[in-house]
Amino acid sequence: MKKLNLISLFILLATIIGCTKDITVDLPQAEQKIVVEGSMEQGQPPVILLSKSIGYFESTDLNTLQNLYIKNATVTLNDGTSTVTLDKICTSTLPDSTLQAIAPLVGIDYESLRNIDICIYTSFTMLGEIGKTYTLTVNADGKTVTSTAKIPALIRPNYYFWKPQPGFDDYGYLWFNLTDPPKLGDNYRIFVKRKGVDNSFVPVLGSVYNDDFSNDLTFDFYVARGHLPNDTTSADVEGTEFYFKRNDTLIIKFCTIDRGVYEFYRTFEQEVFNNGNPFASPTTIKTNIDGGLGVWACYGASYDTLIVSD
Amino acid sequence: MKKLQILTIFVLFFSVLQAQKFTVSGYVKDAQTGESAIGANVYIEELMQGTTTNTYGYYALHLPKGKYTLVVSYLGYKEFKKSIDLNKNLKINVELQPISYTAEAVEIVAEKEDENTTDTKMGTAKLDIEKVKTLPAIFGEVDVLKTVQLLPGVQSAGEGNAGFYVRGGGPDQNLILLDEAVVYNASHLFGFFSVFNADAIKNVTMIKGGMPAQYGGRLASVLDIQMNEGNMKETKVSGGIGLIASRVTVQGPIKKDTASFIVSARRTYIGELAQPFIKETSPFKGSNYYFYDLNMKMNYILSDKNRLFVSGYFGRDVFTFNNKDDGFKMTTPWGNATLSTRWNHLFNDKLFMNVTGIFSRYDFSVGITQDQFEFKLFSGINDFSFKSDFTYYPSILHNIKFGVHYTYHIFVPSNATAKAGEVEFNTGEIMKNYANEMAAYIQDEWTISEKFKVNAGIRFSGFQHIGPFKRFIKNQSGLTTDTITYNRWETVKFYKGLEPRISARYQINGKSSIKAAFTKNNQYIHLASLSSVSLPTDIWVPSSDVVKPQIGYQYSIGYFRNFKENTFETSVELYYKDMKNQIAYKDGALPENTIGDNVDNSFTFGKGWSYGAEFFLKKRYGKFNGWAGYTLSFTKRQFDDINDGEWYYAKYDRRHDVSLTLSYEQSKRITFGAVFVYATGNTLTLPVARYFLNGYVVNEYGKRNSYRMAPYHRLDLSVTYKGKEHKKYQSSWTFSVYNVYNRYNPYFIYFANKGNAYDGTLQIQAKQVSLFGIIPSITWNFKF
Repeated sequence: MKKLNLISLFILLATIIGCTKDITVDLPQAEQKIVVEGSMEQGQPPVILLSKSIGYFESTDLNTLQNLYIKNATVTLNDGTSTVTLDKICTSTLPDSTLQAIAPLVGIDYESLRNIDICIYTSFTMLGEIGKTYTLTVNADGKTVTSTAKIPALIRPNYYFWKPQPGFDDYGYLWFNLTDPPKLGDNYRIFVKRKGVDNSFVPVLGSVYNDDFSNDLTFDFYVARGHLPNDTTSADVEGTEFYFKRNDTLIIKFCTIDRGVYEFYRTFEQEVFNNGNPFASPTTIKTNIDGGLGVWACYGASYDTLIVSD
Repeated sequence: MKKLQILTIFVLFFSVLQAQKFTVSGYVKDAQTGESAIGANVYIEELMQGTTTNTYGYYALHLPKGKYTLVVSYLGYKEFKKSIDLNKNLKINVELQPISYTAEAVEIVAEKEDENTTDTKMGTAKLDIEKVKTLPAIFGEVDVLKTVQLLPGVQSAGEGNAGFYVRGGGPDQNLILLDEAVVYNASHLFGFFSVFNADAIKNVTMIKGGMPAQYGGRLASVLDIQMNEGNMKETKVSGGIGLIASRVTVQGPIKKDTASFIVSARRTYIGELAQPFIKETSPFKGSNYYFYDLNMKMNYILSDKNRLFVSGYFGRDVFTFNNKDDGFKMTTPWGNATLSTRWNHLFNDKLFMNVTGIFSRYDFSVGITQDQFEFKLFSGINDFSFKSDFTYYPSILHNIKFGVHYTYHIFVPSNATAKAGEVEFNTGEIMKNYANEMAAYIQDEWTISEKFKVNAGIRFSGFQHIGPFKRFIKNQSGLTTDTITYNRWETVKFYKGLEPRISARYQINGKSSIKAAFTKNNQYIHLASLSSVSLPTDIWVPSSDVVKPQIGYQYSIGYFRNFKENTFETSVELYYKDMKNQIAYKDGALPENTIGDNVDNSFTFGKGWSYGAEFFLKKRYGKFNGWAGYTLSFTKRQFDDINDGEWYYAKYDRRHDVSLTLSYEQSKRITFGAVFVYATGNTLTLPVARYFLNGYVVNEYGKRNSYRMAPYHRLDLSVTYKGKEHKKYQSSWTFSVYNVYNRYNPYFIYFANKGNAYDGTLQIQAKQVSLFGIIPSITWNFKF
């Protein structure tokens, strides 16, 4: 065997052009469905918004958008013993000051709310009660959709705390210490509102949890700051988008939810997060609305305040 | 003349009892390297009857006493001819002289090179590694798995995907064997390259229809790969330096003509090459990717009757992602390891035995550390197998194979551990699944008459899922309501199956034949794949009390014809396949669902069927050679829980598939190669409607796989230039251009949203991502 005397060579000639281009796709016509966006927590009235789904590539100018919201529905709510018919309040009939107040309730920002007429179905005669199961029935455009959700018993973290992330002095996640009850099957959804910064409660990043892995444990856990869609309220320092800042006052809404609501938000947030990521199998959002789309969410909410400091 | 032949056979046939018979047997090898010749034709010229050498180069012909001419022919080698006087048992070991693929080779066309029409094999193709090496390859990395995908009926899963689909079967329905050891994940770098280093490989056989009884456990195909054994004559070093990887192979005798070894290694340097181009501030700084392979084999001829082989493969992909700012670190290593030890034993000239002990392992893990959180996800499979295979040559008209196989499987479907500081999260127990898989088979290749030949076999298979095992019983809302615990060795579920296999050939004349085959296959282990591409995270799961074995029936018929002294081979094959107990994830299932649960709880079951026609034309000899294939096929699936129970086209349903492979040897030193492929686009599930909720726009999805991406097509060219032949060393340059006309083939499609839904400015744009445009590359290969 002889020594090789001519190594040390190679030529690199790579032209790797990873490319993305716009294409048009032809999609079949889809059936229009009723979309329910409803919520209620203990001591509060139900808030229901009704709309319709739209073909994937159909344009959404303001006019189309107007027509998507359902204004002629009959909505009833049953708490197991009695049934009430919900009242309709349309935004076009409300003064600006009221609009500003209800914007956080319906999850649409004030500016948008001024542009379109949306009707909210609600009732001040039936407020949420812990432990009760509520059945919602919607009749509109000749269709009926129903849904059932429960306000579970309250569970409240032992305490909240904050600490800076390594590499930061003033930014970090929100931490809490929770004792999960012994029985399996607790589900949670967490919101945070930064006082003076956020107009409404913002679900944290990946806002729902269950106790599959943490049943009957006491543990520390953290949450990252969430963002509302088209969030323009605060210009974050780059790299701190998911942290809470020192000296912020945080109002924390820690909710118990039932499995149906958990499943909806888990798949909903997954879909929002994937946003059509081709590597994920298409997430069919698990709605708890029979015959329609969307969610009827009941919350057992506990409120706490934390001023961010070490 | 013909009558005489028939008469001879008749005489032969009816004189079985009377005539005194003897055996001529031996091994066929390459004269220069001592490598055994697999599948070489060995026949008696006077009878035009014969056999082929087995995987170890052994042949045996049992004949009445007489004077004959023994002929051994093997593509790429000079024909061997010898007159024999068979009046006692003869041992004739043959050393074949290789010929280079030059124009001169045309003259040496062996007459018996008509396996295409005379063999009972259907849907079977053998790759010539030396030829594969002259074909263009992406980044210049020669890849047998990519070449296999150029055969009709074998479909590539698309760019960036080493998984392949055979006649409408999923990637898990292919049995990939490397020296008899099962390779579970045959791809590196998310499928850009296969784990098979071409330098270490001797023989590749693809069986997509008419699977003989000796193979089992998969529905669609067998890819049987043998590693080189190592040069028995002299020590040789060869290797290559390419754009993204380098290879080196050392082989030689441990003891001349008795024992040899081969070690072949390959490593990429993509990650290292990319480092200087990553900015200091980039979030990817500190990230790296590489893979390496190591093949080794030793073989030892203990005696005339005994031979020992030890071979192994070890390969690993490592991807690391480091984000120091965020305290985030991720490492994902994955890879295969196999080790097989084989012992060949000749009981007598007519009975050959091979005993194999195998270990095969595939594992994948992801480790994520952030601050005080530690998360680890891992999955894998470990196999311990024992095989005993016999070949019995009772007469020239029969070739009988029988044997037993046993495998002990240990599966680790997705398991996770998570820690937050001191508190360890309860992510469920590390859940392993244990199983015994066993099979016994017998088959006979029987020449009934000159025109009619049959290969009939039966395989009896069994699968026992055993404890320790925990079954979680779920209620409708997905909560565990009950747990059934099985103890060690306790049977969870036992399945068995009888798998008949038959293929037959009817010779119309010397040039053409009709073949038909029927096979039934059982598959006891399954790969569940969530996404549209095969990722290393895809996990193998056993049949269990919930998952029934997949069962496949395949019917095929074909017409085979050779032209111009067997220079051209053509065939048309039609097939129909019926598959039961197919597996898919339930709608909206997510990978983390499987943590702390039985992975099969996220499955749903249905059926599949597929049919098609394959056209094949091959020019075997001459300066200009190559092949062309066209496949028309339909692949469907039906699951009660998917698509409202309606059938839909599988994601790899491919209406048209064309491949063209050409090689032109201009001179002894210059060879041109070209590959062209065209394939109907993959199916996709796309959103059909959207709606507004909580300020977001979300999608409602349409019918399963109702959309099709743009077709895939591509042309590659290459030229191999051999340096002057030196006494001491040889070298060659291969220049290749992948995707010559720079076609942007679809890899995936996504939708980009812009604007605000609530002020009427929302715009949705469909975007198609393509992976590779034109890629020129250069590789330098050497040998000394």
